[in-house]
Amino acid sequence: MAKIFNPERRGAIDPLKYSQPLGGALVFLGLADSLPIMHGSQGCASFAKALLTRHFNEPIPLQTTAISEVTAVLGSGEAMVATLDAIRKKQRPAIIGLLTTGVTEVSGEDVGGQLRTYLATWADADEDAAPLIIGVSTPDFLGGLSDGWSAALEALIRAVVPAPLTVEDRSDASTALIAASAPPAATLPAAPPAAATMPAGAARVIPAAAPVTTTVPASPLPRQAGTTDGDAAGRNLVAVLAGPALTAADLDEVAGLVRAFGLDPVLVPDLSGSVDGHLAPAWQPTTTGGTGVAELRSLRHAGAVLIAGATAAPAGELLAARTGARLLRHRHLSGLTEMDALVTELMAHTGRTAPERVRRDRARLADGLLDAHFVLGGVRVAIAGEPETLLAAGSLLRDVGAEIVTAVSPTPAPALADAPWAEVVIGDLAEFAERAQAAGAELVLGSSHARGIAERIGAAFLPTGFPLFDRLGAAMDGTAGYVGSLRLLIGAANRVLDHGHGHARPGRPSLSASHGSAAAGHRAGPEIPQQGRGTAEPDELDNLFQESPC
Amino acid sequence: MAATERAALFTEAACDHNNAKSAKARKAGCPKPKPGGTSGGCTFDGAMITLVPIADSAHVVHGPIACAGNSWDGRGSLSSGPTLFRHGFTTDMTENDVVLGGEQRLFDTICEVVERYAPPAVFVYSTCVTAMIGDDLEAVCAAAAERTGVPVIPVEAPGFAGNKNLGNKIASQALLDHVIGTVEPDDVTDFDVNLIGEFNIAGELWDVVPLLTRLGIRLRACISGDARYRDIAAAHRAKATMVVCSRALLGLARGLEERYGIPWFEGSFYGVSAMGDSLRGFARLLGDDDLSRRTEELIAVEEAAVETALAPYRARLAGRKAVLYTGGVKSWSIVSALQDLGIEVVGSGITKSSDGDVDKIRELLGDAKLISDGSPRELLRVAEETGADILVAGGRNQYTAIKGRLPFLDINQERHIPYAGYTGMVEFARRLDMAIGSPVWEQVRRPAPWDLVGAH
Repeated sequence: MAKIFNPERRGAIDPLKYSQPLGGALVFLGLADSLPIMHGSQGCASFAKALLTRHFNEPIPLQTTAISEVTAVLGSGEAMVATLDAIRKKQRPAIIGLLTTGVTEVSGEDVGGQLRTYLATWADADEDAAPLIIGVSTPDFLGGLSDGWSAALEALIRAVVPAPLTVEDRSDASTALIAASAPPAATLPAAPPAAATMPAGAARVIPAAAPVTTTVPASPLPRQAGTTDGDAAGRNLVAVLAGPALTAADLDEVAGLVRAFGLDPVLVPDLSGSVDGHLAPAWQPTTTGGTGVAELRSLRHAGAVLIAGATAAPAGELLAARTGARLLRHRHLSGLTEMDALVTELMAHTGRTAPERVRRDRARLADGLLDAHFVLGGVRVAIAGEPETLLAAGSLLRDVGAEIVTAVSPTPAPALADAPWAEVVIGDLAEFAERAQAAGAELVLGSSHARGIAERIGAAFLPTGFPLFDRLGAAMDGTAGYVGSLRLLIGAANRVLDHGHGHARPGRPSLSASHGSAAAGHRAGPEIPQQGRGTAEPDELDNLFQESPC
Repeated sequence: MAATERAALFTEAACDHNNAKSAKARKAGCPKPKPGGTSGGCTFDGAMITLVPIADSAHVVHGPIACAGNSWDGRGSLSSGPTLFRHGFTTDMTENDVVLGGEQRLFDTICEVVERYAPPAVFVYSTCVTAMIGDDLEAVCAAAAERTGVPVIPVEAPGFAGNKNLGNKIASQALLDHVIGTVEPDDVTDFDVNLIGEFNIAGELWDVVPLLTRLGIRLRACISGDARYRDIAAAHRAKATMVVCSRALLGLARGLEERYGIPWFEGSFYGVSAMGDSLRGFARLLGDDDLSRRTEELIAVEEAAVETALAPYRARLAGRKAVLYTGGVKSWSIVSALQDLGIEVVGSGITKSSDGDVDKIRELLGDAKLISDGSPRELLRVAEETGADILVAGGRNQYTAIKGRLPFLDINQERHIPYAGYTGMVEFARRLDMAIGSPVWEQVRRPAPWDLVGAH
């Protein structure tokens, strides 16, 4: 159980946080023939696109409503309509995710109302040709990447899986869904009273927290899952709601595991189908893989819902509630314990035993844990990343006896409290660097932005999380599953070994040397003379960053 | 910055093209972004591109996390010394700041940054959200400057004001208004020069400065690449300015001329003839006969050497066809560099170039080859139609090209290979040759076994 420490906020120095719309866009990038749109200035999309491109080494379909200062003040609705019209005509995606940004949220406009009005204008149009359009509230000034992912995924489920008519959906349910094109043949509900439409001048008044509106498109379709025709398929279909920590390789393994039990997985989102790095027959302006509209519609028949990552929990819970499916809940899927739990559940769900392949993979991980514990046992680890990444990688390293001395997350998340170490700090990379150094970290896990920190404090570095822009193959890294966990462990152990080869330490530190734990308050390791650090004085830490004037 | 002041940025007296525009067209300024059909960066992006390479200064972004969080330390502009510019500083505004105003938070952030890093100056950038809620950037910067004793420069270039070019212009204006002329150097020579629009991508400046040094020309300020605040603040003591590649920054050169009488010329470091012309440009403006003579000697020596080095590449590259898509910074200078190598430029995108740059491209290529739709689909279509051998463009198009099995060369700001000057030209040719001649293309263009005709 970890204590969540959220220091008094200051401006960020070397931000660890990424914006909500970026996380939302990632969800839509995991859908097939899809095109996310950032409803904001052109820079909102171009910065995000550049960053995603550098991480995935893939073309990233991402559009913008190109809000100008005039439209921002006088109303962004026309720009949104123009964008949707242009995209439906030109790129013709099957799925459009419209993500609000800071600039379109700050004016207090009723984006949801505008989108519903727009959708109503083509409600009579050819249903087959009409794209699935989902609007999500993702203001930049709230939360971060994981929150955006969570919001978009929940909105997606809410839009594509109808609420059962027999069960009253909680009208006060928190949702970021602002509007969506209806399921097939559905008519749109009348727009509810707009949530406090603000005059343009009242810019300092902003809408209440997450939802712009909390309307749910009521579906005329009867509930199907778990009742009649859903039964045959229902037992077999497993909705895998994935969090952002899972790479394409991880998703492959999870899907394979589910299939190994004779089940049909539907991954949402499925970044292994879109931005895994595959050479498609031809370039196209939308995603070239991922979960398709038909698969999304089929979710209503799910017999089980696997929450594969804490970030996906709200969506998973909603889907389970709407379908009555069995809920398999996993904050992450890294390590033997979590995977064994999942396999146990799948065995119970299907009445089958685990096939040979799975047994072999488990045996390899078990052996790898043993091999790795010699290398990683007692190693002081500092890790920075999205909440789910912290939980997954941190837990796995804990499992072989490493000591998580510093864990920094950009944003708080309830699941962080379950981290099996003392403390998780909410902060930026400057905070991370100070704490990692003060705690004498020997292995740093983090994005490409953390590489320099590892170098400065003389620690080994394992690139983990997002973004990884200075190396190839981020999608093929393993972090979860029996196989992926083993790959992560081997990677971490080898980094420590490689680092050690070049950093032989002269003698052992004195036992009497006490280690300052100014920052984190963990049991700190012995001082390492070579690194020349005792108690970390703030001045010394500052010197780390001090730039010599030219 | 008020809309009227911003409009004034487009009254570019030094630009023939601008003068030829009607009053109405001039007033319209940069082209408006098109909803659903825009891919370039915003005004904020343009301002950051221009100023962030002032490497010893802190660059604080006043806005929600997206603006700095998604972009910090993402450029290929290198520094030979200080690395402060690579840090990301932002007020990271949250809902509370939006409601209550972010001025105090900005003030505190500036003070903290100064306290921790002791920079010679702090540049502060507004963003869409802080512009909309009406935070008074100038007032906060003035207060913070007074408190810290460090110059704090407001850069009011919110993203929604327009495209990158506008951001370049606003950044120039901020330098003219707040920075240049604030430091009096004590080491002025008669051969001090400024570069404007050279960002030291991948260290390109370092292939150019040695040439200047050999001529006895001293680089006073580079706006902005491997730059130091005090050098830029003393830019008004230079004797000549060269505007490198982009017309978006002409206003800065004109400002230096109007305020301090510094003559300027436009040039480029890309391509053998362009490089020679640039060196001659300095010699001409500095008005020293001996310098002119030495310049011709240097050019002769370097050109002879580069010709020898380029010969094998020329033989392989002659007659090859390229599609070019880049921003104002390089749009026409790369055209001439490609033409230097005997490569035919069969199309060049113009959507990211200023009108002045477009005129230059038109001069070099003619109307027919201008691509006004910069979408990936259009670039691939043009490449296919013209039988292009390579797409030369920014990193964002890299994966578009390779998904279309089209060789690609990155020439934008994220790249890691310098192409400026004579050595850069050889490297440029080598990379083009490698890209086009790579063994991978034959493999990936081959159909999969199951797609072969007659396969069972």
